[in-house]
Amino acid sequence: MPPRDAVMVADAPARDPRAAGVPKIELVGASKTFYVRGQEVTALQPVDLTVGDQEFVALVGPSGCGKSTTLNLVAGLLRPSRGEVLYDGVPVTALNRRVGYITQKDTLLPWRTAAANIGVALELQSRAVPRAEAQERVAQLIDLVGLRGFENHYPAELSGGMRKRVALARTLIYEPECLLMDEPFGALDAQLKLLMQDQLQQLVHQRRMTVLFVTHDLGEAIALADRVIVFSARPGRIRAVRDVALPRPRDVFKMRFTEGFGRLHEELWDELKDEVAKGVDV
Amino acid sequence: MTAVPADRPTDQDIDPRPRLTRLVLTTTGLVVTRLLIIGVVLLAWELASGTLVPKFWVSSPSAIFARLVQWIADGSLWRHLEATLLAMGVGYVIGCLIGVATGLALGFMPFVQRILMPYLAGLYALPKIALAPLFIILFGIDIESKIALVAITVFFMLLYNTLDGVRDVDGDLVEALELMGATRREIGLKLLIPATLPWIFTGMRISVRYALTAAILGEVIGANRGIGYLIEASAGQYNTTGVYAGVLVLVICCVTLTELLTRAETSTRRGGP
Repeated sequence: MPPRDAVMVADAPARDPRAAGVPKIELVGASKTFYVRGQEVTALQPVDLTVGDQEFVALVGPSGCGKSTTLNLVAGLLRPSRGEVLYDGVPVTALNRRVGYITQKDTLLPWRTAAANIGVALELQSRAVPRAEAQERVAQLIDLVGLRGFENHYPAELSGGMRKRVALARTLIYEPECLLMDEPFGALDAQLKLLMQDQLQQLVHQRRMTVLFVTHDLGEAIALADRVIVFSARPGRIRAVRDVALPRPRDVFKMRFTEGFGRLHEELWDELKDEVAKGVDV
Repeated sequence: MTAVPADRPTDQDIDPRPRLTRLVLTTTGLVVTRLLIIGVVLLAWELASGTLVPKFWVSSPSAIFARLVQWIADGSLWRHLEATLLAMGVGYVIGCLIGVATGLALGFMPFVQRILMPYLAGLYALPKIALAPLFIILFGIDIESKIALVAITVFFMLLYNTLDGVRDVDGDLVEALELMGATRREIGLKLLIPATLPWIFTGMRISVRYALTAAILGEVIGANRGIGYLIEASAGQYNTTGVYAGVLVLVICCVTLTELLTRAETSTRRGGP
C-alpha cells in the first residue's frame, strides 16, 4: 500500500493539558460504523470514555466488541462516524504520533533482524539518536523483552511470541507518552506473560506513561490496570467500569491469590460472562 | 566404512530398471547419449541433403559449419554478434533504470498513478514489435532503433513488476511506520524500496530473455548489422545455409544466457537471508 499524506497532530496545544487537568484521552459519544458490501455494520456504539494522564485503563470484552476499533480511533487510524475523539483536549484528526501503538498483528519488517526492527524508530529523523546510543538502547530493550541471543534472527525465524516481543520492544524504545496495546501478551505462554506484565508495569510507572490496554484476559486487566472497562458483545458499548483500588507497586505473580483481586475478578466476571456467551452465539 | 554383506542386495541390485537405462543415467552416460543423438541427427541431415531433400531447402551441416568458419575468419560474426549484444545490453540497462524509477515514482504517488494508469496499460498491452518501424523512422536503421525497442520492452516489464511490488506492501506496515513518525521519504527508503526489491530482481531476470528477443526482432525488421539482420539478409537471398548458421549462433547465445542466469540465480539465492 502506498503511503498516505499524514499530518502530525498539533504538537503544542494552547494550554498545558496537565496543568488544566485535561484528560489524556477522551471519547465523547464516539461511534464507528463500517459499510461491508453495502451493509452497515456497527463496530462501536456511541462510547464515552476518559483516560487521565498516567492512568492505566484496560478494556475487556468478547471478540468483535469494538475494543480494537477504540484503539484505532485514538491512534487516528480511523475517524469516528459520530462523536469526537480528543487527545490532550485536541480532536484527533490525523495520525496521532504521540501514541505508541502495539497492534494485534506484529508489523515487523521481514528483511530486518530482530535488533534492526527494534531500532527502526531511532533511525527516523523525528526520533534520531546517535548510533552508539541507539545500539545501547536496542541492547537494553532486547534484555527487557528477554530476546538475548535472538538479535540477529529474522522475524520469519522467530516464534509468534518472540515476534510479539520484538514488536513491543520496537514501540517501547522510543518511549511514547501513551501506549495503545491490543492484546500484546495474547500469544505468550503463561509464565512469560506474567514476566512481561511485571516489566510493563514497572516501565509504565518509571516512564510515567498513559496506557490503554485491550485484553481478553480479565486477570491480566485487573493485575495491571487502574480501571477496567467491560465492553458488551457486538455492537460494542461499555457495560461496566470498575476502579482497581489495589495498592501499587503490585506483585503480578502473587496478587491473583489475594482477596481483593478475587472479589474484583468475580464481580467483573459476572458482567463479562453474559457478553462472552452472546459473543459465542453469534 | 561398513562393508555391505554379500547376502544382502545393494541399491544397485534392487534397481528395477534395465542395465542400459542405468548406464545412460550416469553423468558420462548422459553426455555420451546426447552426443550420439546429435551425431545421428546431423549425419541423417547430411546424408538426406541433396539426395532425399533438395539442398536448397535444408542446406547441410557441413555447409553450415563451413559458413560459420568463414564468418569467424572474416570477422563478420563478431561484428554482427557485437551489434546484437550491444543493442540488447544498452537497451536492457536503459529499460531497467527508467522502468524501476518510474515504477517507484508512481508507487509513491498513487494519485498520479491513478491518472496515468490507463495510458500505461494501453501501451503495455501493445505488442512492442509494432513500434519497430516507427523507431526506424525516428532513430534510423542503425543500432539506436534496436536499443529503443529493447528499452521499451524491458521498461514495461520492470515498470509493472515494480508497481506490483509497491502494491503488495502491507498497508499495516506503512501505518506502523507512520505512527512511529516516519516521513514519506523514510517510508519509501525503509519500507517500500526494500519490500519491492525482490519484485524488481524478478523483473530484471525475466526481461533478459525478452531483451534478446526484442533486439533480434528489431534487426529482422530493419537493420544493417546484427544476428537478426544476418538471418534476414540470408533469407532475402534464399541463402538457407546463412539462415541456419545465423539461427545456430542464436541458439548458442540463448543457451549461454540461460546458463548464466541460472548460475546468477542460484548464487543470489544462496547468498540471500
